Amino acid sequence: MTADGAVREGRVVVALGRRALSVQFRRAQLLMPTFVLPLMLLAVIASGTSAAQDLREFPDVGSYLAFIVPGTIIQGALLAGLTTGTAFAADIEFGFFDRLLAAPVHRTSLVIGRLAGTLGLSVLQSGFFLVVAFAFGARYPGGVSAIVVAVVLAAITALGIGGIASAIALRTGSLSLLQSIFPFVFVLLFTAPAFFPRELLAPALRDAAAYNPLTFVVEAVRGQLTGDGRLGDPWAGLAAAVGLAVVTTALATFALKERLRTA
Amino acid sequence: MSTPAAPPSLPVALALWRRSLNEVLRVRGALLPATIAPVVFLLGMSGQFGRLTGLDGFPTDSYLSWIVPLSCLQGAGFAGAATGSNLARDIEQGWFDRLLVAPVPRPLLLVGPILGGITRSLVPATVVLLVGLAVGAELPGGILGLIALYVACVGFCAIAGLWGVFMALTFRTQQAGPLMQQGVFLAVFLSTAYTPEVLLRGWLAGVAHLNPVTYVLELARQATVSGLEPSVGHTLPGLLALVGMFAALGGLALVGLRRMGR
Repeated sequence: MTADGAVREGRVVVALGRRALSVQFRRAQLLMPTFVLPLMLLAVIASGTSAAQDLREFPDVGSYLAFIVPGTIIQGALLAGLTTGTAFAADIEFGFFDRLLAAPVHRTSLVIGRLAGTLGLSVLQSGFFLVVAFAFGARYPGGVSAIVVAVVLAAITALGIGGIASAIALRTGSLSLLQSIFPFVFVLLFTAPAFFPRELLAPALRDAAAYNPLTFVVEAVRGQLTGDGRLGDPWAGLAAAVGLAVVTTALATFALKERLRTA
Repeated sequence: MSTPAAPPSLPVALALWRRSLNEVLRVRGALLPATIAPVVFLLGMSGQFGRLTGLDGFPTDSYLSWIVPLSCLQGAGFAGAATGSNLARDIEQGWFDRLLVAPVPRPLLLVGPILGGITRSLVPATVVLLVGLAVGAELPGGILGLIALYVACVGFCAIAGLWGVFMALTFRTQQAGPLMQQGVFLAVFLSTAYTPEVLLRGWLAGVAHLNPVTYVLELARQATVSGLEPSVGHTLPGLLALVGMFAALGGLALVGLRRMGR
């Protein structure tokens, strides 16, 4: 690809990313699950289970709210990714995607543009969650750099989940299917130590957590925000998030090629 | 010219009930989200927070037993809230306008869909209960406890249905769907969802004490929680809470219905 071509494709990616974000913010009902639901769960879990700090094996953390905020951030990333797939399926079902296919742009840019919107959404979400939690008493001893790392890890994770959701949307083109896989996203969340330390999970869940990439991401975010490296390794989190994003973006690109081949 | 006789109420209600049940038969996977979401929450929450039973004041040593009734109520509530989504669709597509001009009392138009929601809610409630029992929840309350659990689920489904109907009649669009679902979500989780009242801290302790769903949960937990044996003391507050919520939300739904077409 020439330099001019790369610039043109970059513009396409930015334009599609902006469109994905503006659609999200124009329809308030789409914001409810992505912005409000994780905060509601955070508020309820923070108040409903904070007695867990009295358990002998619970790590000594200054703020229980700060301990569980990483679970909320990753939940937001999951929902942002799923929203991407839902919007993708809507574009396919209502014919907008067919019009994009007729445009003289690289097909991969169509997928990457959509995922760029996911990145933007995730950054906004994570920032929002961190600010709200801070207002309610969470403190982040890891400092500004830790917050940046947490937001970046969440954004890459959202990209990864967006890749899976986009692949499903491209394979099926079904909006209703994407809407109904919402509960399965929570399987990924609950098989990671999202709200509780890994050592205190039920044995079966603890075993499953070892194979869930979100485990390493959520622990990395927790380690960063609390400033306690024993709670999570940032490099393991980064490797898990990037690995997930690379594999699922490849899946989405493959699904696009399959769709074009069979169309 | 003689005025045509109004059709009898019962057949109309039954016809609308059958129509709402057709959703389950004709729409593939219509019940899946309402069934799978509570099962996922049941397994996920019990796996995450199971060790909370080690805290002083927790009435049972099985967290699954504590959380099964919550998930049953959640499933029943989601099935009930779907009544509102279906009504919003009927309003958007003009079908409800045709029903409004029928020579039947308007409240009757809501009875069938609510009954349909209650019937549908038995599926998620039963699936969640069976999954819970299969993975280790206990059933110390026996038959009486089970009856209490199902009364709580059916009652809560009717209340969630009325909430959904009120939202549908107020906003008259399917886009109000998330509000209907999240109303149920909030009502359930702002209670003794995860831990008993003695272990709640901060604002949630006060809110849960005032939230009538806390007492509905206590009614339901007589089936599975060994510290809550079936008794009048554990049953009556839940029943009163159900009646109170039914009256309040039923009144709101009737107000919304009266405004339709004006």
